[in-house]
Amino acid sequence: MVKGAAIDFDEADAVARARGGDLDAYEVLVARFTAPAHRAAALLGAGADADDVVQEAFVKAYRGLGRYRGEGFKAWLLAIVANETRNLIRSRQRRAGLLKRAAEPETLEIDPAETAEASERRRFLVEQLRALDTRDREVLTCRYLLDLSEAETATTLGLPRGTVKSRTARALTRLRDRMPVREAPGA
Amino acid sequence: MRDDDELIGELREAGRALRVPQALDQRNAVRARLTAPAPRLRRVRLAAISLVAALIATLTLVAPARAAVVQVVGDLLRVAGISVRAEHPPTDLPVDPSPLPSTVSSDLDEARRVAAFPVMVPVDLGPPEEVLLADPGPDGKPRVVTMTFRGGAVRFDQFDGALDGGFLKTTPDAEWVDLGTGAPLAAWLPEAHPLTYIGRDGVTRTETTRLAGPTLIWSSTRELTYRLEGLRTLDEATALARSVQ
Repeated sequence: MVKGAAIDFDEADAVARARGGDLDAYEVLVARFTAPAHRAAALLGAGADADDVVQEAFVKAYRGLGRYRGEGFKAWLLAIVANETRNLIRSRQRRAGLLKRAAEPETLEIDPAETAEASERRRFLVEQLRALDTRDREVLTCRYLLDLSEAETATTLGLPRGTVKSRTARALTRLRDRMPVREAPGA
Repeated sequence: MRDDDELIGELREAGRALRVPQALDQRNAVRARLTAPAPRLRRVRLAAISLVAALIATLTLVAPARAAVVQVVGDLLRVAGISVRAEHPPTDLPVDPSPLPSTVSSDLDEARRVAAFPVMVPVDLGPPEEVLLADPGPDGKPRVVTMTFRGGAVRFDQFDGALDGGFLKTTPDAEWVDLGTGAPLAAWLPEAHPLTYIGRDGVTRTETTRLAGPTLIWSSTRELTYRLEGLRTLDEATALARSVQ
């Protein structure tokens, strides 16, 4: 007698079915990638509008599935998320009539379980990261805050991989220049 | 570039410490937008559109039924990217849990220190009696953290990865469970079933196959997967799953 069922998630299969118009299959992708897309949107600067960005990205991703080339659905989706986030920030700036980058909404908190000194340095690091030029900020956010690989970052930001490498190195130098020198232990 | 490494370490730490609000569940909203008829079509072929609407209504009614019980029909049934394979459970399964690859005994503090993901505990079960770390990567960080409670009757596994092959289950009546937006994919496997672990290298560890009791398995917001095994009822398992922190 045949009994039993093995369950696993097959991304390529879900994408192929969604491309064929299977909304159930797409729903599995939506469920699976909502959280990473939302985190990426929030950390790339969408703040309180991250949920709107995610929804828009999923709708656009579905309609653009014909352009997906198997580079990994997450990075491909994040490219749309990053683009939507940029549009959002631009329209925010237009609405506010500001020339400067609009202040990010305060939706990011530092873990309260931390020592005051460590959390102060960390808060300062995040502030300095946000103050960087958009291109530097995006590449560091993708690589280290979102923990994406170089290849994923390249897909997400629509850059050649070599550019990700060189821009990361440059952005790190700029960020380090903004940070206070750490005191030597015991000093 | 030691300085760079240090700064990269700090950035990664900051990434882990940054909290963003819980994401909204977008499934219904996205589906509604994708199934909405395009505005320019509204005035034409009304009959066709109402037919489509009726179809959508039918699908919406059918979907929860499909979601409630995965029926095993024939040898292969695929539901929306989740594949459900009918299988003959191997007959020579060891009944006792046998260890995952390279399992070492540990404690909660060490697990929290060495794991590359936040180690959680179902607090309503009290402190774990045993903590095991398994399948270490080249950096020594374990991919699986296992805890046991109630004299080993209840087992809580958490692992670094999504529901994409970390564990494969075989059970006749898997049931999809809604644990809320924090757990986009969740399933209850009420009967004893063979359990196979597929390592990070993609190799199936047949030697670790064992019979697992009733299990609640879910993936969480940060691409981690949890399984809670040994609770008799879905209600109890769900309540304990909600106490995970």
